[in-house]
Order: sequence, then structure tokens, then C-alpha cells
Amino acid sequence: MVPRAAYVHVPFCAHRCGYCNFTLVAGRDDLIEPYLAALQRELSVIDPPCEVDTLFFGGGTPTQLPPEQLTRLFELVLARFPLAAGAEVSVEANPADVDAARLDVLSHFGVTRLSIGAQSFDAAKLATLDRNHVPADIVRAVELARGRKLAVSLDLIFAAPGETLAGWQADLVAALALAPDHISTYGLTFEQGTQFYGRRARGELRSADDELELAMYVAAIERLTAAGFEHYEVSNFARPGCRCRHNEVYWTGGSFHAVGPGAARYIDGRREVNHRSTINYIRRVLDGESAVAEVEQLGPEDAARERLVFGLRRLEGIDLAEFHRQTGFDAESLGGAELAHHIAGQRLVIEGNRLRLTREGLLVSDAIWPDLLRE
Amino acid sequence: MPDCLHIRNFSIIAHIDHGKSTLADRFLEHTGTVQQREMGEQMLDDMALERQRGITIKARAVAMNYTHAGQEFELNLIDTPGHVDFHYEVSRSLACCEGAVLLVDAFQGVEAQTVANFYAAMQHNLMIVPVLNKVDLMHARPDEVIREMEQSLGIDPDDVLRVSGKTGLGIEDLIAAIIKRVPPPKGDPLAPLQAMVFDSHYDDYRGAITYMRLMNGTLRKGQKVKFLRSGRSHEALELGQFVPQRKPCDLLQAGQVGYLICNIKELGQVHIGDTVGVPSSTVADAVPGYQAPKRMVYCGLYPSDGQNFDELRDALTKLSINDPSFEFEPESSDALGFGFRCGFLGLLHMEIIQQRLEGESDLDLVQTAPNVTYHVRTTNGELLEIHNPQKVPEAGFIDEFLQPVVRVNFVLPVEVIGPVMKLCTDRRGVYVRTEYLSPTRAMLVYDLALAEVIYDMHDKLKSVTRGYGTMDYELLGYYPADLVRMDILVNGQKVDALSIICDRRDAEFRGRAVVKKLKQEISRHMFEVALQAAIGSRVVARETISAMRKNVTAKCYGGDITRKRKLWAKQREGKKRMKSIGSVDIPQKAFLAVLETGTENK
Repeated sequence: MVPRAAYVHVPFCAHRCGYCNFTLVAGRDDLIEPYLAALQRELSVIDPPCEVDTLFFGGGTPTQLPPEQLTRLFELVLARFPLAAGAEVSVEANPADVDAARLDVLSHFGVTRLSIGAQSFDAAKLATLDRNHVPADIVRAVELARGRKLAVSLDLIFAAPGETLAGWQADLVAALALAPDHISTYGLTFEQGTQFYGRRARGELRSADDELELAMYVAAIERLTAAGFEHYEVSNFARPGCRCRHNEVYWTGGSFHAVGPGAARYIDGRREVNHRSTINYIRRVLDGESAVAEVEQLGPEDAARERLVFGLRRLEGIDLAEFHRQTGFDAESLGGAELAHHIAGQRLVIEGNRLRLTREGLLVSDAIWPDLLRE
Repeated sequence: MPDCLHIRNFSIIAHIDHGKSTLADRFLEHTGTVQQREMGEQMLDDMALERQRGITIKARAVAMNYTHAGQEFELNLIDTPGHVDFHYEVSRSLACCEGAVLLVDAFQGVEAQTVANFYAAMQHNLMIVPVLNKVDLMHARPDEVIREMEQSLGIDPDDVLRVSGKTGLGIEDLIAAIIKRVPPPKGDPLAPLQAMVFDSHYDDYRGAITYMRLMNGTLRKGQKVKFLRSGRSHEALELGQFVPQRKPCDLLQAGQVGYLICNIKELGQVHIGDTVGVPSSTVADAVPGYQAPKRMVYCGLYPSDGQNFDELRDALTKLSINDPSFEFEPESSDALGFGFRCGFLGLLHMEIIQQRLEGESDLDLVQTAPNVTYHVRTTNGELLEIHNPQKVPEAGFIDEFLQPVVRVNFVLPVEVIGPVMKLCTDRRGVYVRTEYLSPTRAMLVYDLALAEVIYDMHDKLKSVTRGYGTMDYELLGYYPADLVRMDILVNGQKVDALSIICDRRDAEFRGRAVVKKLKQEISRHMFEVALQAAIGSRVVARETISAMRKNVTAKCYGGDITRKRKLWAKQREGKKRMKSIGSVDIPQKAFLAVLETGTENK
């Protein structure tokens, strides 16, 4: 299947936030030029160019690039991934960077969607999260995006150290007040290798209590769905017709191209991940070596199991007939006794031709997935 | 062929780490038995595991030729295991000697095993050559330690030699003292053959290699011999001495120490303490003192996936060929499936066997908490030996429940006498006596249940005394006690592998500790999990693991998919290795919960 989706990783940030373990370099804008050169080189193998329905610029912070370099980024990417009619083009942005000049560049190249790393509307929480923007930046960024007819998505983090349920409710209200098209909510995680992980180990930070985090998650689901958002994936909410089509490709087993350091692609049942170190990536690609660090070829059954798990993370679940058509496997026999056990426990349910998570199942879903996979 | 007058048979006895192996190396070097450049580190400890643990496990014997005052002497150094688990082997080695070098670290001073070994040597009427080792150490306190030796062991300070096994200082004088003070062996080369087996090991090519000391008579190559206890007759295919590698010879005679190879394919046929004689009518008496090895500690060993039962049996069989003091028999458990009940001389012996199993085979094992051997006298007068808590009869059938009691000698700094006494009284120890070895060190003697000693006494002692206390013990016998079997129930279902035998008065507190520990080890399930400790139908402790409420990963995009899938698939494998009881997944580590907790809050 020829991919109709592409991801571009832009690994630059002004500063690395304490909870972040993504592939990025902070304060190394001197690497933007070599990065663009490497990206061009990596893209050169997409020959002939591959038309895409969805294109996603993630990071890092794509908007960290100054307008002139941002322009060149789009030129070289679009040369290889020309947009089909009605294509969705998403760009992640830090509220602090969003300005008219950059948004002009985005609009010019056909960007349709701005994904803003808002995280919170509370200045103290933003400081705790080690963010370099203030609440007013978010409002300004949303207004600028609106002015250029861009769809707006807001990322929000909950369960930050010291955060209360009331505080989180206030964040949800503030977010809804800006009338975004899409909201993603993430419970804060303490990933190994991050500054937060070390600080928690030293007792300087405390992760939120399980019950509180649960209450916050449920509050987000209730408030956002009440406001007319569809809860369409574990952490994603959209107004009708405003889902992120690109992310849906990931969750429905679709194939996609990817370029840039640490970028992951899935083509012909083969998953590949590029070298994560930006410097390493640049050096390798400019030396004519492969950018790829890891390769995994999935057999039909493993691909089907993966498809089952990630498909079930979408709240509407999987269409059993379509699943069979796509993978050649019957979802129920693939899940076997374990799947039946979870259905009996009312964590999963079959309704008509769809298998999906129940609310109870959703909340403990990570304990279900191991049963549906195999090593 | 040396006559008895020119033979000296001796051991080195010491507390662990007091430098026995290093001193042995100096002997080999100084007598020219081994050239310095051939010297590996510590020649006598040839098993990798021994070197790793710094413990001499298997005794060995080396013959050294040495010229002293113009005369040729044969010096046989018989090495002894230094740990309490191997008391019997020590006693057999000592029975081969006329003398013992008592080695005491000039800094550490007299320790529990110094005392225990000293008394063992006295029991065998050995001439003691007291030696202070490591006198070159900066922190050595030779005069104080000599006073301790005088106080605790009644040694004449003038008899104590000062050496350094490290530098070789004083070695020549020590060898001269051994020749002068240790009496030559008695024995008649013309009398009927009588040789005591004091050790054996298995050689893949030659079969069992038997170590023996000839008490009387002469043994010739090719001769027929008989092992008097086992009743088996063999041909002496090869005999010789260790120098330290095997060196064959044509005959050995009374007073000498050497080895015998007879094409014996199973080490289990060679019994330590047995006597080698001739299969004729002039049979000499067996050497007294033979005992079958006593297994004091038992535990269950199970293949973790329930599949590798045969592989585990093969691995255990292989180990027992080399170590007949270890035994095993098949058993089954509802919780763990098919496995083996294994018996060991003691806790250290158990650890060694386990490490060998892990090192030499590729098996993933679940081990249950160890227990001692109990005796139960039933109401119809039968005496049962209990190796497994599951085999304890119903309370109504028990007339008397007996447990092994040991006499424990602690040697420790006087300022920790109080805390150690508390440790012992908390474990219902019976005070025997205190002896002051010096103004700063004392020996404390208690009688304690062996079960209390093996669980954690050693660790507790080390922590209470900050490493300065040592202990040693000997079995006193079996005594009645108020014992009960405590069962652990998970969601109402008994987990047989978690049952323990304990004192009735401890049941509540141990039960609480066990279920608390289990609560930490068992992760949350989709449902509530009840953990109970019970004696019969009476629940003595309870904990609840509440149902899982939230477990969901937020972020999952293109780059996360592979990582997440692998993580979840791995969790599945982990779950498969757990034991499922009443649909509760119990990790393997939890089966040791009963061991690790017992005394935490006492």
C-alpha cells in the first residue's frame, strides 16, 4: 500500500521542558541549516514524489524555525510530498513562538491545522511544568491562527505536581472558552531520563495520586463531551468533522512516510525508526549513510494484533468485518479466551459489528493490551 | 617411602577470612611443592564458586616433601571446610590428623568459628599449634588477641607463633613447629588395611576419586578393596597423592594420606566416614564415627514455567553426583505444579546448590521458603519426619510436635551483648552462659530453635553488631514445641507453597508480615484481592489489594506504536511466568515472602 500520509520531525526547541523526553535539541539553532540539508538528502529518495492526504510537522517545535528557514522547510518537504486536494496539514507550535510572520508562511504553504502546546492556562502550573510561555501567549496564538482560518488544537496536561481537581476544571473551562476544534489531554508521565524523573526520585516532585488522576481524566471526558466534543481516542477530543486525520492513520494501521531524526515510518508491514540523536542523524545522512536505526518487519499475525490493540484505543473500536478484511484475521479468535474474559468482565463489548472499550475498560485499558499481544 | 616418624598430618582451622587459604599457599611455596610462578591465587580452593564466595567448601589434601634438620618429612595438609553446614565433613577431616594449626587473625581476634573449630580439634585429641596471622597489618593487635586466645581457649601465650600468610613472614618457623610439636601418626603397615574416607569428588573421566587416610596396613595398586559400610568391593585401579595435582604411586601405607580410584561411577556410593579395608576374612574394624549426612534444611524447587521438569531433574541429578550430601525427591504443589523437595546440610549449602543450578543449567526456577526438618509424633505413636509444611497432619492427630534445637555460640564485642541477648530472647532462646574472652570481647551461648537461626539470625547479628559479631552452632537434638502450620489464602484459596510451620505465639505476627509482603509483591488486579493468613479455619491476618482503578497511557502516536507494543507484549510474557491461583497472578518472588518478612518488626 502506497502511503498517503507523511510525518516530518523538526527537532528544535528554545528550551527543554523538565518532563520532555522527545527527540530534540534545545538552544542549538546553529544546527537548523545542517538539519535542512540532511532532510533534503533524506527526502531525495522519495522519487517520484508521493502525494499525501495528511502531512504532520511535529517536534520539538516546528515554529522554532525563523520564517525564512520555515519557508525552506516547506519547500523541500512539499517538493517530495505534494498535497492532494483537501489535504490536512498540521503543524505543532509553542504559543510563545507563534507570530504573524510565521503564520503567514504556514498559510502560504497550505497548512490547515495548528496544534498548540498550551498545556495549561494557569501561570503557576506552567511554571511547575517548566514551560517558557504564559497564558496570554495561548490566547494570542489562537487568535492569530483563527485570523488565518486555521483549525486549532490545544494540548493540555493534567496531574501536574500539586495540581488540584478544581485547578484542572478551570483549565478545561479556559480551553473551551477559546472554542478550539480539537483538544488532546495528557496525564503527566515521569519518563526515565527526564529532569522530572530525577527530581521525583530525589523527592523534590511528587506524582499525583492515582485516584486524583483518575478523577481528572474522567472530568475531562465529561466536560469536553458535554461541550460537544467527540472523545474519539484515549487522549483525543474533536468537534464533529475535526478529528486529526493524520493521527487516525496511525491508529488504524495505515502506512505512512516519516523523515527527520527519531521519526518512525510504517510501509509495507515494516516499521522503521530513524536515529534519535539529531547530531548523529545529520552526520549520518550527510555522509550518505542510512538514517534508519531500527527495523522491524511484522508478520501478518503480529500486524493484526497490533492493529487490534491500537484500533481499540479509538473509542468507536474496530469494525469486525473490516478488521477481517484488512488483516485476514478474525478479531475474536485472535483475542481468544483473554478477549472473552475481558468481554465477560465488561471491559470490552461487542455491539453490532463493532468491538470497543467500555468506560470501565478504557480506564484500565493498559492492563488489557498485554492479553491481546504476544512476544 | 617415609616411615610414620617422618610423616605429619595436620589441618588448618580458622574462622572464615582469617587467611587459611593464603597460608596454605605459602606452605606449598615454601616446601617447593608448587613453584611461585605456577601459583594461581589460593591453590586449594579450586572450585570457581569457592573463590567467588571466599569459602572453602570441599576439603582437599596435599602432600608436601620437606627437609628439616637433615631429614626428609612428608607433610600432609588436609584442608577443611570452614562453615557450620559442613561440621561433619570437618570432623572427618580432623579425624585424619594428629595436629591442627589454629589460625587467628591478629586484627579480628577470636571468632565463633575459631572457638567451634578449636573444640572440634580438641575432641579429636589433636595437637594444636596456635598461630597469629596477618601480624604485618597496620591495625593488628597481636598482644590483645593472644590474650583472647589464652582467655577463651586456654592457650599458652608462649606457644603462639606469629606469621603473615601474605608476606611469608614466620612460615619457616611454623613448619618447624609443626614437625616438632605434632606427633607422628601411629599405625602398623603390616596390620590389615584400614583407611578412612574423608572426602571424595567426581571426575568426568575417572569417576569417583576417594580421599583417604590410611590408619593401618598397606594399600597396593591393583589390590582388591572393600568399602566396609557400603559393602561394595572394587579393584584399586590407581592410588596416589595430591601434590596438589594427582600423582599416582604404587603403594600407600599406614599414616599416609592419599587418593584411590576404583572405577566407581556414582559419587553416591562413596560415603564420607566409610572405611576402606580388604574383602577377606581378616577384616579390620570400621573406623568409628561414621554418620549419614543430615539434611537440616529443605525447600521446594520448581521450574518456573512448569515445563522443564525433566531438565530440572537432570540438572539436580548431575549436581548430586558431585555432592551426595544434597538430596531431592519429586513433589507437586497446586500452586507451582511439579517440582522437587530438596534437602541440604544448611542454608549456605542450599545457596551453593542453587547458584550451581543457575550457573550450570539454563533453568528459570521458583524456590519456596526453606524450612527445617520437624518431627511429629502422631496419636497412634508413629514418628513422622516432616520436610514440607504440607505434610503436617491435622491437629487432632498430633501428639507431639518437635523441632531441632541448636546451641549457638556468639563471639562479639561486649557493648553489643545486650542487643544480641534481646535478639535471642525475642526468638525464645534459652540463655546458657557468657564468657569474657578479653575486656572487650565475649562469648555468649544460647539454645535456639534451628528454624529461628536459619531464617535471618546471621543477617540480624551482622547488623546488630555492625559486622563484628560471629556465630556458630551445633545441633542439640529435637525438642517438643507449640508449633502450628499457618496457611496463606488468596481470595479464599489456599496457596500450598506459602504454608509455613511456626510457633503458635508467632503466628499472628508472622501472618501479618507475610500478607503485608504479599500485598507489595502482587500487583493490582481488575478485581479486589483478599490475602489471609490462617491457622486451620481461624484467620489471623488479612490484607486487601484494591481493584485496579486507572491504568491508561495517554500518548500513542506513530513513534510510540512499536515501543508500546513491545512493552505490552513483554508484560504478557511476565504474566505468563507468574503463577495463577484463583485467577490471581502471583509473581515468583512472592513465594519467598514468608522468608523475608518473619522478624522485621519483632
